[in-house]
Amino acid sequence: MTKKVPPVFMNSRVLSFALFVLGPSLAWAAPSAKEILAASDAIRNPGRPFSVTVTLTEFQAGKQVDTSTLVSYSRTQPQSGQFASLIRFVLPARDAGKLMLKNGNDLWFYDPASKASVRLSPQQRLLGQASNGDVTTVNLAKDYRATLLGEEEIQDGERRKRKAYKLGLTALSPDVTYASIDMWVDVENNRPLKARFFAESSRLLKTAYYRRFQPQLGAVRPTETVIIDGLNPQSVTLMRFSDYVARTIPETWMQRDFLPRFQPE
Amino acid sequence: MRPLTRSLLCTFLAAGLIQTVPALAADAETDALLLESSPEAVPEAVRDTRLFVEGMVGTAGQRYLPGNRDLWRGSLDFSHTARLGSGWRAVISDRLDRIYPTDPGVDSTVNSLREAYLSWQPKSANAVMELGRVNLRYGPGYGYNPTDFFRDGSLRTLTSANPFALRENRLGTVMLRGQGLWTGGSLSVAYAPKMADRPSPDGWNLDLGSTNNRDRALIALNTQFSQSVSTQLLAYKEVDMSPALGASLTALLSDAAVAHLEWSRGSEPDLLSRALALPGDADARNRFAGGITYTTLGKLSITAEYQYNGFALSQSDWAALGTTAPATQMVYLREAQRRQELASREAYLIYISQKSLFLKNLDLTAFLRVNAGDHSQLAWVELRHHWPSFDLAFQLQQHIGDRASEYGVLPDRSVAQVLGIYYF
Repeated sequence: MTKKVPPVFMNSRVLSFALFVLGPSLAWAAPSAKEILAASDAIRNPGRPFSVTVTLTEFQAGKQVDTSTLVSYSRTQPQSGQFASLIRFVLPARDAGKLMLKNGNDLWFYDPASKASVRLSPQQRLLGQASNGDVTTVNLAKDYRATLLGEEEIQDGERRKRKAYKLGLTALSPDVTYASIDMWVDVENNRPLKARFFAESSRLLKTAYYRRFQPQLGAVRPTETVIIDGLNPQSVTLMRFSDYVARTIPETWMQRDFLPRFQPE
Repeated sequence: MRPLTRSLLCTFLAAGLIQTVPALAADAETDALLLESSPEAVPEAVRDTRLFVEGMVGTAGQRYLPGNRDLWRGSLDFSHTARLGSGWRAVISDRLDRIYPTDPGVDSTVNSLREAYLSWQPKSANAVMELGRVNLRYGPGYGYNPTDFFRDGSLRTLTSANPFALRENRLGTVMLRGQGLWTGGSLSVAYAPKMADRPSPDGWNLDLGSTNNRDRALIALNTQFSQSVSTQLLAYKEVDMSPALGASLTALLSDAAVAHLEWSRGSEPDLLSRALALPGDADARNRFAGGITYTTLGKLSITAEYQYNGFALSQSDWAALGTTAPATQMVYLREAQRRQELASREAYLIYISQKSLFLKNLDLTAFLRVNAGDHSQLAWVELRHHWPSFDLAFQLQQHIGDRASEYGVLPDRSVAQVLGIYYF
């Protein structure tokens, strides 16, 4: 007499077999957290050296209190895979011509009036507006381990409902600016929609919304980031990106000794 | 109220707060998303020219005469870079000061042509050539720069005691300079020929006698060992003198702290012999500056620096000079200032800057220089408010010490001044 296999047991065996056979291909089909993050990085940042004009508008309690303009010259460093940026201040006129170099933790400020190059600590750099660039021009996939926390419907920067992957990012080394990041990426096209940046103490430092997606240097990229201060949500900075230009930016420019000689075309 | 009722009420209130706080944050975020950016600026039109005018009125409390003396100054500051094509550029930087009162024999109107040079960078961008008056400055020190070999005689007008502001008036040296760059380093070679014998008191003179009164050459090697440590090695030679060596280092100590060290060693007459034009023997001695800068999350940066000059008078020699020939003390201090040298053998500097003090655009900068030998002090504090194109600053300077000390011997006991700067 043959023992009858209960239908439930049979089904589970079939399911196990199916998972064994199809599992890898299913996993292949669904993008990993790292792939989503890398795709989102590629949307924020062109893959070749470029310059972009950044207009920063600061608000307190909804009132505009300050505005400044800078031009950022960025390239990916071959050794680290991370962005290095030379930032040239344009407005206000008081700061015109001042430079800031960020090459990992090699941070320098150069004032053409005093000819002084001053090394900055990461904390010193966080005092200025240039540090807001860290929420934009950075390859997060290089510095963070990403985990897919699920899918959520969120309000995007244009105040529309979007379905998004929620990624949890933890720093791979203590050298990076933010210890952890929560990131929401559009499930349809991997566009970055929103991010929350945390200190090591888990304190919320900044919330960023990426919006005004437009074609720039071969891809549709966010051309405005809304940055909301974590401690004081009434303090808001809008970063508008315009005039993306592909440029030749040699690696040799990204050092202190070149700052007094930096004269971009 | 009964305990149970009270605890239930507290629980409901706490639950209500937990629900409300994220809702408030979400409201703030929605409000933030309604904000609009400023119109984008057109940077092309403004980025190559910098122009500002500055006016100052002040008063100085006098040590040796009764009452105060009035001070005023008007300044026009201009710099421009012209792009000439194929990697060529012309750079000009000039400052015009009208000063009251002035020292006897010195013009009240002084024009300082700080820089005027041609620069060429080939397409590869790994080399730079420059010819003309170039402001070449080295050294990470805040208040004293032993490796800044082109510093002596470069200050035509003294408009501030703040070491950072002082450098803004500095004259460049006429030189031919080449620089090669590679990943993580660079080598620079500069040659500055003699073009005049002595400084000129004429306010409209180019004053090459201050910056190019002897043949000089400098080689500087910059190396970045890691993202946290970078160094500079320098070799300097001037005619009829032994070569001098210098080195500097900057290091990132933590997220909030940066260290700097700067050292040079040369063989030359001591500072007093130079001040009095005496035929002093050339001895090999050291100069040094080293410090740490710490920045708090509250936007406060504090730098503490130790300074050493082996060519300066020791405390006992300074005191002996005050007893035997007090007038030469001022001659000595003037020479130290002209050479941007440390007048005392050892000194300390505390430098503080606080951004957004009480108000968003109000900055505080202050420093204290202390002569380690006689403990006299120079204290300086500035409050500066920024508007989009205008700065208003109030500065107070105090010279503290007894009459035989470095700062106590100065003719002004205190200086208070108000500055207005308009940026075009």
